[in-house]
Amino acid sequence: MTRMARVARVAHKGAVLMGLLALAGCEGEVADVEAPAALEEAVTVLPPIQVAEGDGLPDTLPADLVWETNDEDPAFASPDAKRGGTLRSSMLSFPLTIRRIGPDSNGSFAGPLRYNQLSPVIFHPNTRRAIPVLATHWAFGPDGRSIYYRLNPDARWSDGTPVTAADFTFAVRFMRSKEIVAPWYNNYYTERIRDAKRYDDLTIGIQGADPKPKGEMHYEYAFGPVPRHFHEPRLTQDWVQATNWEIEPNTGPYQISKIDKGKTIEMTRKADWWANDERYMQYRFNPDKIRYRVIRDINVAYQHFMNGELDTFGLVLPLYWHEKATGAEYDDGYIGKYWFYNDLPVPSAGMYLNTADPLLSNARVRFGLAHAMDFDRVIETVLRGDYDRMPTFQLGFGEYDNRSIRVREFDIDQANAYFDEAGFAERDGEGIRVKDGQRLSLRVTYGAPHHTERLVILQEEARKAGVNLELQLLDSSSAFKTMQEKKHQIAWMTWNSQGLSPRYWEHFHSVNANKVQTNNLANHANPEMDELIMTFRASSDPDERVRLAHRLEQMVHDSGVVIPTFQVPFTREGAWRWMKLPEGLGTRTSGSLFNPHRLSAGIFSSGGLFWIDEEEKERTLAAMDAGTAFEPITVVNTDYRAAD
Amino acid sequence: MTVKRPMLNPLTRKQWQRFKSIRRGYWSAIALGVALLLSAGAELLVHSRALVVSYQGEWHFPTYGDYIPGTAFGLGYEYETDYRELKRNFAASSAGDWVLMPPVPFDAFENDLKSGVYPPYAPSLADRHYLGTDSTGRDVVARLIYGFRLAFAFAAILLACNFVIGIAVGCAMGFWGGAFDLLFQRVIEILNNVPFLYVIMIVASVVVPGFWTLMGVMVFFGWTAMTWYMRTSTYKEKSREYVLAARALGASSRRMVASHIVPNTISVIVTFIPFSIASGITALTAIDYLGFGLPPPTPSWGELLSQGTRHLESPWIVGSVVVAMVLVLLMVTYVGEAVREAFDPKQFTYYE
Repeated sequence: MTRMARVARVAHKGAVLMGLLALAGCEGEVADVEAPAALEEAVTVLPPIQVAEGDGLPDTLPADLVWETNDEDPAFASPDAKRGGTLRSSMLSFPLTIRRIGPDSNGSFAGPLRYNQLSPVIFHPNTRRAIPVLATHWAFGPDGRSIYYRLNPDARWSDGTPVTAADFTFAVRFMRSKEIVAPWYNNYYTERIRDAKRYDDLTIGIQGADPKPKGEMHYEYAFGPVPRHFHEPRLTQDWVQATNWEIEPNTGPYQISKIDKGKTIEMTRKADWWANDERYMQYRFNPDKIRYRVIRDINVAYQHFMNGELDTFGLVLPLYWHEKATGAEYDDGYIGKYWFYNDLPVPSAGMYLNTADPLLSNARVRFGLAHAMDFDRVIETVLRGDYDRMPTFQLGFGEYDNRSIRVREFDIDQANAYFDEAGFAERDGEGIRVKDGQRLSLRVTYGAPHHTERLVILQEEARKAGVNLELQLLDSSSAFKTMQEKKHQIAWMTWNSQGLSPRYWEHFHSVNANKVQTNNLANHANPEMDELIMTFRASSDPDERVRLAHRLEQMVHDSGVVIPTFQVPFTREGAWRWMKLPEGLGTRTSGSLFNPHRLSAGIFSSGGLFWIDEEEKERTLAAMDAGTAFEPITVVNTDYRAAD
Repeated sequence: MTVKRPMLNPLTRKQWQRFKSIRRGYWSAIALGVALLLSAGAELLVHSRALVVSYQGEWHFPTYGDYIPGTAFGLGYEYETDYRELKRNFAASSAGDWVLMPPVPFDAFENDLKSGVYPPYAPSLADRHYLGTDSTGRDVVARLIYGFRLAFAFAAILLACNFVIGIAVGCAMGFWGGAFDLLFQRVIEILNNVPFLYVIMIVASVVVPGFWTLMGVMVFFGWTAMTWYMRTSTYKEKSREYVLAARALGASSRRMVASHIVPNTISVIVTFIPFSIASGITALTAIDYLGFGLPPPTPSWGELLSQGTRHLESPWIVGSVVVAMVLVLLMVTYVGEAVREAFDPKQFTYYE
């Protein structure tokens, strides 16, 4: 549940499968015997967008569309920002390709590439409302699952070509094509994106699979354009090889300007970027250059940072923040430490109790178990007091969060009372409770070896209440398989969390209970809750949805099928003195403070707010030479920390 | 009239003398024996349960047997008594009650955590963590000793299983020869070519490998080693005159193998024992180190080693386990070396 994992997760939905594709790709290849003349013909002519029965957008733009935009939310970048300088950054390995899609494209460099391929809209990092990017206006179709965008006429690809509606319809055809060797995208753009239509050069419509609340559709169904003029001539059987090291035109502020294979990649800020003066883009993306350098070891990278060869470094891990990030450079104020609490969707880390198990079908046992888990002790010791207790199953969705729920605290007396009530009143020779010869012993299935040290503490403390935890550490994929097959008693795991509102259907609806390969790990089934979940899913009234989400979260708590564990509600970073941040360090949803991009992928537009102060840099370097010190910089911002 | 037989036959006595004369092997054997004895009674030396509690005139011996809830000593909880706390309580009051704790008052599982300071804790005489604690505050001495006991027991059982199967099959191959020999040669070759570590990894990814699961897998692949030696020795011995004589007297195959051939190959068998123990310990440590071994929180050297390498800034973890391991393996090897020399037939026979 580290910050890095979260960043990677948001980077691109589903692209995890990408690694598997390389093999599949080669099989279908047909040897091309005829030479030059055949090559021309080999260019793939993509079929028109196939529309399934019951799907399809209207042929003409519906007349009664209500076009919306957002130019009233506050801008969030600092007007003090100075343009210029080079951000020196590192990566652990050199990318295998600079394609952003297809085999091997899901590596460490996918982020910088994809962040610069913009989508029609993005979400405001403080208000969480849609704000314009490539589109200036949007409207929702009457079928509840289609969305229309009016594009910004200024939008340009990096080679100066205007972005048009044809690039969007091409995107669907491109993503459905076999030549890109990307089955996940093939499937997503067929199953989830059902239709896309160009109405004029600047107007497009997109239809998704299921009705969604309005705001969510930007997130669920909107996709970015693909530069047709670039890909169409290259789209042959060889597309994957041919585009490995080709710089694809993009729409974001940075474009690759230099590649030194195996060593560095340099991206340069477009001086005349088309969105320079847009309301939500001003004063952002300030460094002129970003240089990514390969440093293969994290500890070595940290040494480079300490030598001043890298400008910033992530310090989320307790070992770094508390132990490594100390010493003269910090005391003399040359390097600043920033600890920023954010308010993002929190991964749902918890113990999921399988109610299909005879022991755990008893609610008293579940409640007793929750009271027997001493999470605070784990936090105070092995987690060094840095993590927080997760209060609810889902968290970090703004007003959807039900903050009135109080976790079941570690309390032996209460645990004892519940277990006694459940009939486990006797204890055996080891002090474990028994009932009719059955021991109160439960298996915890988990897949992260470094969580063992957390679990052994819980295990020891739980024995005091007479419950034995049997730890079952499997490798992560078989652990997940065991859970998906519902063969677990207690699943210790973390669900990724993203989007604008919490989700309950996957985890708690009875259609997913007692079935393999579903995410209802608790096998939870409650008809009353089913009904609420369906209303929640269908509703597009924000107030009703918030009310229902609170209710549902309360029901999850009351059932006791999930024992929420930990959250890491912050980012921590170190940066040299010349790296400047806006007042308050970041936005409500800043997952990182010194991310130079973070505009498109991931849903909140919180990146590129910092700047490099060249004068301050000279002063700092001079002071280091002279041996003079500044005031140390340690900034902790708890503005967005959830109230306890 | 009975003939008084010597306790040991002259050959064995000579071998024992020879073994004793190799000093480092002899002393290693004694040291190992003592270590094994101590670890067998480790609960009396290293444990969180008190040796003796005198409470209200009554004596309790909590070390072995069922747990004693705190309520038995007037503490307000039903779970197992915290004897260290009890000792402090008794010392503070003047009721004449007392607690005698083992020299190291911690077991291998409990997390002795302090608030405000984060484990691993450095070695400390005051805290009685003589080799410090690991990253969850468990005593390193306790983990080492209980880990040693487990690893040694594992290696010994593994050895017994491997030898029983290996000797039986090896002798049968050598004695019968022919198709049986050919068949088993192929079977053994196949087994030898299965990458054993991968099998362990696959097993560990499907089930939690317990003591006996691991044992099963390791025996399955381990018994083959002895067969080659036993097969060759049996072939050799089979053609000796005494076997022919036994055969001429009408001895059954089983009798010939069990009473004549195996006793004459004993030097081969004995020589391999210490080295097999050493390899058993290293194998278990290695798979524990990789995380495919015994499930947490079982005390194990491999787990300690992997923690130590992750916490190099706390050198007492890796230091303790490396020193312990080097010592034990060195001693086992010295013993093995001495045994081999003592049993070396070249000392007693020569060929013309």
